[in-house]
Amino acid sequence: MSTTTVTPAGATRRTGGSAPSAQDDAGLPASLAGPRPRTGIPFGRLVHVELRKMLDTRAGRWLLIGIGVVIAGALTILFVQDGGEHPFGDYLQATTMPMAVLLPVVGILAVTSEWSQRTALVTFTLEARRVRVASAKVVAALLVGASAVATSFVLATATHAAAIAFRGATGDWTMPGTAFLGAGGYVLLGLLQGVGFGMLLRNTPAAVVAYFVLPTAWSVVGSLVSQVRTAAEWLDLNRTMEPLFTGSLSGEEWARLGTSVGLWVLLPLAAGMWWITRAEVK
Amino acid sequence: MITVDHLTKRYGSFTALDDVSFEARAGRVTGFLGPNGAGKTTAMRVVAGLTPVSAGRTTVLGRPYATLPNPGRHVGLLLDASAQHAGRTGREVLTLGAILTGVDRRRVDHLLDLVGLTEKEAGRRVRNYSLGMRQRLGIAHALLGDPEVLVLDEPANGLDPAGIRWMRGLLRGFAERGGTVLLSSHLLGEIERVADDIIVIGHGRIVASGTTGELLSGSGTVVRSSDDAALAAALTARSVAVTPTATGALLVEAEPAEVGQCALAAGVALLELRSGDERGLEEMFLDLTASSAREEVAA
Repeated sequence: MSTTTVTPAGATRRTGGSAPSAQDDAGLPASLAGPRPRTGIPFGRLVHVELRKMLDTRAGRWLLIGIGVVIAGALTILFVQDGGEHPFGDYLQATTMPMAVLLPVVGILAVTSEWSQRTALVTFTLEARRVRVASAKVVAALLVGASAVATSFVLATATHAAAIAFRGATGDWTMPGTAFLGAGGYVLLGLLQGVGFGMLLRNTPAAVVAYFVLPTAWSVVGSLVSQVRTAAEWLDLNRTMEPLFTGSLSGEEWARLGTSVGLWVLLPLAAGMWWITRAEVK
Repeated sequence: MITVDHLTKRYGSFTALDDVSFEARAGRVTGFLGPNGAGKTTAMRVVAGLTPVSAGRTTVLGRPYATLPNPGRHVGLLLDASAQHAGRTGREVLTLGAILTGVDRRRVDHLLDLVGLTEKEAGRRVRNYSLGMRQRLGIAHALLGDPEVLVLDEPANGLDPAGIRWMRGLLRGFAERGGTVLLSSHLLGEIERVADDIIVIGHGRIVASGTTGELLSGSGTVVRSSDDAALAAALTARSVAVTPTATGALLVEAEPAEVGQCALAAGVALLELRSGDERGLEEMFLDLTASSAREEVAA
């Protein structure tokens, strides 16, 4: 431990000539060894911190616990019901659905909490290049999503295998390849969309409500109002993703998927990032 | 070292900062004094790169804040003690800062200890902290990266008298090590006890600045004359220090009698001649506070 030294002249200057107390001496932190950094913060470190921030609050942790409980419940029902006799796709749906529905909230909170809790003040002063912070949030969200998808695949596989081994289920592993893509995309795109909505609105309730209500409202309008039906076929993410779960996609279906992803995921992200780099942080 | 150069910040028709220029030098504590709403916080946010400016520029350690590599290792900021996630523990707040700035995590314990947060308190969530505890946590956070510059907005708020005394010693020690300290307060008494230099701001303008000695000196003479420039030249020729004050008078480091003799010799008519008294700054400050208070009532 290095000891801090305060020159007596300095320490007594403001205390009316009285000797500095031990407390005054203890007032200074130890200096750090080595030269001050001349290079910026590595991007990996930013991602590490953003990941940690997603999980170190009560809100983030309970959200993950909640997702875990829902998945456990769903898997238990499948395992017990009908002697576990369900195709693998059902098991996969039981694990990915809760994640796809609830994980976007993690993405939303990752951004909105910076504003509602005002930690943006700290975040953007420790890394002043805001685009890097925003990008680190996107990457961290993708990492959370990727590990969630991997976990859901493993859990679904394990439970289905257990149903075959212990419950005597016949088992049905058939699934179109694009369904894996669909399940993964469902979770990852949802998370990104959450981050994008968070950046755009920077207010937790507004972002959560907009995230859950807008696409659904759009789906409803698209199915009811004939004038926008064609538009909905291109711009309703719920609808454009459907073919992924059933099997092969035509060129136009891919184009529709791309268009809707652009509208609901990329556009909010880009606009949100643009705003973040220019806004006053209060 | 912090320099603020002709800084102007407008919000619509409201001018929060109006052509503000000042310097906070290394090895000194600079007190930023002004009533609530004077523009202290806005100026500090601009320095930290959080608020875009309408005109002017600011630098920290000779460069714009946004271009500092790993700013936490150069500048320690405490802009708002309440701007921490209520759901994180105090220790977690510091740990996040340590990871980001690349500081050994053991320093978190060192700093918690230094600012007087116990192991148990550090494990509690920030929502359960008193304002004083948040300030201590904020000061620990500012010191995390062993910075050369400290910018603290109202750090004494919520601290108990012992805490305020502790912080004074800390800031003095920091400056004596060669660091730059810029701290704001709306309390003159608080600033005058710790600052080497004082900048007084009111309604977005600098209304006075100088060393604490100059601004608060009980000695010296305040003089106003028909030709301040000639008088100042005459006094300077006698190697007497002369400083123009913000209110358009001269502050002279000499007895009134000597100033009067000098004015006679220089053929300058005196309009006002009195011992500089430390009431000056306080009166000016009270005026500022009173006028802003009136505005609040009117609005």
